[in-house]
Amino acid sequence: MSRKRVRYIWIPLIIALIAVPAGFYYVDWSKGGEGAGLYSRHWLPDAVFAYWNPADFYASPDAVVGKFEGEQCIACHQAVTPGIVKDWQASRHSSPGNGKATVNCSDCHGNDHQALHLPTPEVCGTCHATQHAQFEDEKRYGFPSHALAMERALDAKHFVDKPKAEVTACLQCHSVATKCDSCHTRHRFSAAEARRPEACITCHSGPPHPDDETYFASAHGQLYLAEGQDWDWSKPLRKGHYKGPTCAYCHMGNGKHQVADKSIWKFGIKQINPLTSGNQVKREQWVALCSDCHEADWSRQQLAGLDAERKQAWKKLYSAEAILKDLRSQDLLYPAANERPPYPTDWLDSLWPRARVGFFEGQASAFYNVSPIERDYFEMWYFDNLGAYKGAAHGDPEAVRRGHAALERDLAAIEEEASRLQGLADAEQQAQRQRPDAATLWKSGDYTDFNREQN
Amino acid sequence: MRGLWCVWLMGFATMAMADVPAPEGAFENSACVECHQQQEDELVAAWQASVHAQTETLASCVDCHGDTHGKAAARARRDGVCMRCHGGADSPVNHSYTTSKHGVLVRLEQDEWDWDRPLELANYRAPGCSYCHLHRGNHNVSASVRDWNATEGTDAAEGEQLPDIMRAVCQDCHSPRYITRLFENGEQMLAIGRMKVSEAAAVIEQAEDEFTGTELAAAREYFERMQSLHLKNVYLGVGHQSPDYQWWHGQPALDGDLLRIKGAVGELYRLPVSNNGKDGGER
Repeated sequence: MSRKRVRYIWIPLIIALIAVPAGFYYVDWSKGGEGAGLYSRHWLPDAVFAYWNPADFYASPDAVVGKFEGEQCIACHQAVTPGIVKDWQASRHSSPGNGKATVNCSDCHGNDHQALHLPTPEVCGTCHATQHAQFEDEKRYGFPSHALAMERALDAKHFVDKPKAEVTACLQCHSVATKCDSCHTRHRFSAAEARRPEACITCHSGPPHPDDETYFASAHGQLYLAEGQDWDWSKPLRKGHYKGPTCAYCHMGNGKHQVADKSIWKFGIKQINPLTSGNQVKREQWVALCSDCHEADWSRQQLAGLDAERKQAWKKLYSAEAILKDLRSQDLLYPAANERPPYPTDWLDSLWPRARVGFFEGQASAFYNVSPIERDYFEMWYFDNLGAYKGAAHGDPEAVRRGHAALERDLAAIEEEASRLQGLADAEQQAQRQRPDAATLWKSGDYTDFNREQN
Repeated sequence: MRGLWCVWLMGFATMAMADVPAPEGAFENSACVECHQQQEDELVAAWQASVHAQTETLASCVDCHGDTHGKAAARARRDGVCMRCHGGADSPVNHSYTTSKHGVLVRLEQDEWDWDRPLELANYRAPGCSYCHLHRGNHNVSASVRDWNATEGTDAAEGEQLPDIMRAVCQDCHSPRYITRLFENGEQMLAIGRMKVSEAAAVIEQAEDEFTGTELAAAREYFERMQSLHLKNVYLGVGHQSPDYQWWHGQPALDGDLLRIKGAVGELYRLPVSNNGKDGGER
């Protein structure tokens, strides 16, 4: 090798030496704004965020001066907020037994009334170390997970883009990452409560994740609905303790606070290869779990059935995606990407307007400021597809049938709409009419202006 | 025989406690009103002032309490009584509540609770319908409910203080600052929903100069859905603290309506001139 060539090696090396630390520095810098997450410098938090993401946004009230402990807190709060006191008094924190010390208000909130804090999972983890470590461990498996839910919300384009009082709605569920009372409601913090399927449904319901409907409609759920009120919910989620499985029995077996380690198809929003070696390991974990009640072969068949359902769903979804990408490349989407409001926080989008089609292009944000046919695809992908998936995963065949019938209807409607758009463009060309500019209609209005100016 | 003795003893006990013995019933609604007006006229007046007494399908005493005296109060405090008339379990008003944390806790724990206790001072771990809407036994159900109005803001949105009654309900369990923040945020979230509706209204209004009712029918249908369904879902989501109604049944659903209205109207400007138009094609 000549000397000259050796010298060239230094060029990429030096670039890398500068670029990598600069990249780290940039990411770190971008997280240093008044908001939180990767785009923290682009937005200001709504005051209510303090309660959903206390680690980032909570500041103590300062109206009451002094330091208080134990009975002192109770004496006052019995009059101010009696429900909190009653709840705590009925909790194990108040009378832990086994010679353990009482967990008082000040143990979690601090004793200085002008420097109170709202307990984060770390605070709970000081005593509940095992559960907290399991919860933190979820992060290794990537999204979806409970532990990464807040990060995921804050870094979503539509969260950054939309008015903060609107996207407060997101944080109420995504705060499962930032406080433990999503499942163990305050101030009872009951394990038994969190074992019940209803503990999950406040978030796991609605069009993109009808976990409640599909579970309750399944044989497992029917068994729970018929007999669940008589089961002893103080028992750990172990083989032999429950006649039928619940959300937590399968997803948090043995009380392990880890919902991400067995997930194969994950959220169902992108296609994965279910047969990788990693997924084979997860499959065997499911089979082992199901074997609490079912034969291994039967369980494997069920999982294979889910894979087959997913394959069918993705075939339909890709057909629709192809139609949309085709429309985009022929400039048939109306309004065109440059005629709609760009995400104010996305500078690349303002330089290079582009309709987002498919998961990897940011489909998750493509539910507003898009043309109707794109929204149709969003609903097909996010609502009907996920409805079918949850039905297949939870054992609700009727939801699978309904979901796939809807997917077929959606695809047919998208095909029809695409050819109508083509027809419109053809007619315009024939009449030598210019397609009217849609920008005025799409880029202004009460909400659109507010969204642009008040973010 | 033993049962009869019990009934007799209970009747005796009731007579001993009250000046006027309360017979067991059954009663017609008019009988309830007549007697209770003498004993607790405020309660009856509150009911008469409420929407329950003023609707065509009157929600009468016996509809909620049953037509007998025993456990009449406890019976009416349970959620099922309200849900029966408010559209059953799947109606948005009920579903937004039953999937909220409040609703979930009531569903899980209600059978262990003593429903004879009055609706105050966090006597119940979580609020059922009646705990908030008939707080402290106030029979004017509207007193603690923000009026539903699709297009105009509420009083508090214009900077007025929240009615004390609403604060008092929440403060049995939640800190004063938390309540303030949630209410402020809720008002703002609703205001944002209304902005989407008014943006859509302006689009349609402007198009009315150029297009016929038939041409605007699709846009108007989306608009109707915006007002009567999706904006109302945001309202229910805020009121019942249901994230799913604030969001998937609410805000993004409004986004969908708005873009479909813009899509439908925008397309009218593209169609060949000869096909339509109020002015015979002179556009």
